[in-house]
Amino acid sequence: MTFLNEYAFYIGAFGLILIGLLTILLRHHLIKLIIGLSIMETGINLFLIAIGYISRGTAPIFPVDGGAGTVMVDPVPQALVLTAIVIGVAVLAMALGMAIRLHGHYGTLDMRRIKELKW
Amino acid sequence: MVNPVLLLAVPMGLAFTVPVIERITGRVSRWVPVAAMLFNLVLCVRLIPAVLEGPVIVQLGGFVPPFGINLYVGPLGLFFAGLIALAGLVISVYSLTYIRTGPLARYHMLYILLLVGATGVALTGDLFNLFVFFEILCISSYALVAYNGDRAGLESSVKYLIQGSVGSSMLLVGIGMLYGIFGTLNMADIARSVGMVDQGVLFVPLIFMLGGLGVEAAIFPMNAWLPDAHSSAPSSISAVLSGIAIEVGLYAVARMVFTVFGISDLFLFLAFLGVLTLLIGEMCAFAQSNIKRMLAYSSIGQIGLILFALAVASGVTVTGGLFQFVNHTFSKGLLFLSAGYLIYRSGSMEISSLQGMGRRMPLTSLAFTVGSFSLVGLPPFAGFPGKFLIVRGALERGGTVIVVLTGLVLLCTILEGAYFFRVVQALYFREGISGGSGERAPAAAAVAMILLMMLILALGAYPQFAETFLRSAASDLMGAVEHVGSVL
Amino acid sequence: MRVLLSLAVVAVLAAGIVTVLRDVPFGGNSSRLGSHFVENGREDTGAANIVTSVVLGYRGFDTLGEVTVLFVAAVGLGALLVAGEKNAPRKLEKASMVLTTGSRFLFPLILLFGAYIFIHGHLTPGGGFQGGAIIASGYLLVYLGSRDRRLGKNWAASIETGGGLTFVLLGLAGLTAAGHWFLSNFLPLGVPGQLLSAGIIPIIYVAIGLKVGVELTGVIDSLMGGTE
Repeated sequence: MTFLNEYAFYIGAFGLILIGLLTILLRHHLIKLIIGLSIMETGINLFLIAIGYISRGTAPIFPVDGGAGTVMVDPVPQALVLTAIVIGVAVLAMALGMAIRLHGHYGTLDMRRIKELKW
Repeated sequence: MVNPVLLLAVPMGLAFTVPVIERITGRVSRWVPVAAMLFNLVLCVRLIPAVLEGPVIVQLGGFVPPFGINLYVGPLGLFFAGLIALAGLVISVYSLTYIRTGPLARYHMLYILLLVGATGVALTGDLFNLFVFFEILCISSYALVAYNGDRAGLESSVKYLIQGSVGSSMLLVGIGMLYGIFGTLNMADIARSVGMVDQGVLFVPLIFMLGGLGVEAAIFPMNAWLPDAHSSAPSSISAVLSGIAIEVGLYAVARMVFTVFGISDLFLFLAFLGVLTLLIGEMCAFAQSNIKRMLAYSSIGQIGLILFALAVASGVTVTGGLFQFVNHTFSKGLLFLSAGYLIYRSGSMEISSLQGMGRRMPLTSLAFTVGSFSLVGLPPFAGFPGKFLIVRGALERGGTVIVVLTGLVLLCTILEGAYFFRVVQALYFREGISGGSGERAPAAAAVAMILLMMLILALGAYPQFAETFLRSAASDLMGAVEHVGSVL
Repeated sequence: MRVLLSLAVVAVLAAGIVTVLRDVPFGGNSSRLGSHFVENGREDTGAANIVTSVVLGYRGFDTLGEVTVLFVAAVGLGALLVAGEKNAPRKLEKASMVLTTGSRFLFPLILLFGAYIFIHGHLTPGGGFQGGAIIASGYLLVYLGSRDRRLGKNWAASIETGGGLTFVLLGLAGLTAAGHWFLSNFLPLGVPGQLLSAGIIPIIYVAIGLKVGVELTGVIDSLMGGTE
């Protein structure tokens, strides 16, 4: 039980990453693949935040009246997650744009039927 | 002294100005990449003396590493930045006339930013910064592969995007784990503390990172996207992707293995993987009837060869591997650029439809021939010294396994020669078939191809000039201790 | 077969992850970097929000790259969706009066809130990217209400260029000041906690906020089938 308490966030984060990966490996519909990518990115962001957590820490923002002595969580992973979210949005936008164009060409988003290129 | 950060800041700033330039006048934007890469090239040349004395460390924002991000401009980084600038310049001259349809200004913006991303990966000394520049490189190449907007381009681009994003996610997980273990993101800082941690724990983030970077570098099990993407993109973009993007991926792999982790147990495995990649690439290339797919598979083969050279990890082979980087950038660039106009003229990508082109497009065919000979490694061209150094170094290194692998490398060279000569034979010694448009390669494209041919011949004739610089680049790659010492 | 293979891959990954994470306890001590930033962030960069001092101070170069990534995505998406044949105009039902009026009423408030978020990025949670996203959400609401109201293309291009150039030029200005590096904070830092503090950070955040707002609006525009 203590194990679960201690590692709940890691388990959740990597659970999401692996679920996303499984979705990408097993599904054929492009939109589902993109959803898988999103789930994976969410998991990674959660993982980064969890790494930076310090027990009973608060957000690393100093109030006007000093705020000395308060325990603050590690700010670096939060900055990294900010960047990672923006990058995720960029990839997501590109993927959705391609899905729109592919649907225009093929009338379907099933990757098993979008298969003109061969070895 | 000039500051190396300008190599990234100035092209980035120029790319940001393009939307306004496009609004004012539509004709100028295509010259912006040329200007940006010319600037970078001049800057690189001016940086050479300073870098040969000792690596230049740029502390961004004025914060001391590991607290701030730093650029590490050693001989190796400068070598890559210069190579990117040179190849980028030539290919941007080619695209002045090659790219004629579609949203032109956007093409040129994406093109500059792709090169900025590649340069950033080569110069940065911080893991997360590497990830960010990697994403710039990847996302702009996803967009450029689909630039034509046809079925093949979109399909390959979407495959590339999905595999590439999974790779980037893996890379980010690896970086997160390293931050959890070491509490730092600076490469030198990690390299310093890497010995104090249990090697078994390090193995997992290493695999995650190599897996992620390996997708972009097209190392064997993760290269399914490459033939589609490289063959469906516009030819100028294929040249950049083959000549720069995958090489930068391989550079990042080498940085991780040599500098950050310093793990030598993995070298034999990587050498094996390199030869496997080489074998598969060359065998698939041999089986192709589509010229661009053939070139794309040949890129996989070359990456395998360079990976093998780096993984043997003696001074001579690493120098040879770096030489092969240069040769591959120039020759594969030349091959894709000439193939672009051969395809325009014949209207088809099939090798059989190129018959008799030697008489109808003499310059373009000559360029293709020079590129093929150089890539195969025939003596007067740039390919010879690189392959020679690799084979010599590997045999000097000895060991049964390495010698056997070297034998396989030589076998692949024969295979490579066979499929390239097949094309050259079709170009010159077959009766021409009529049809297709009467298009000739315009002046800008001719200038680009002649420039590349001259570079290949010059490098082949006087390899010693490049070799002295490459030797210091090789010791830069293998000297993790010096890296740590100069940054921290 | 495919299922088994995928499950095997995932299982191997999970096993690897478990071995690593046993060495990285959850909620443990702060890293050397983190504690340094929390202790010195206010003096070094003048921002009361330490995450901002990391994002735009210590790791400002990452943020320049991040801005570039979003720029690449906006440009690339435009190229992708403009390049081909124009989509056939879809039949759109007119929005109800409630939606139209409500969106017009809320739009300026949302813009104001977005601006608040990015102007106070160095003091409170938030910043350029968050503020920009809020501004873009305001435009999304307006698009839902009335499809003909759009951000002018010339405006969009100048803000995109202006925002990006501000960032790069401020960095270069830091380079020219004596003893400084690219992106170093050369303006007076002021008193942490006040609106006019932290040197170049608020300026960059305003530039980023506007740029991100315009770019995300452009992304929405492209995805909704906007034509140029």
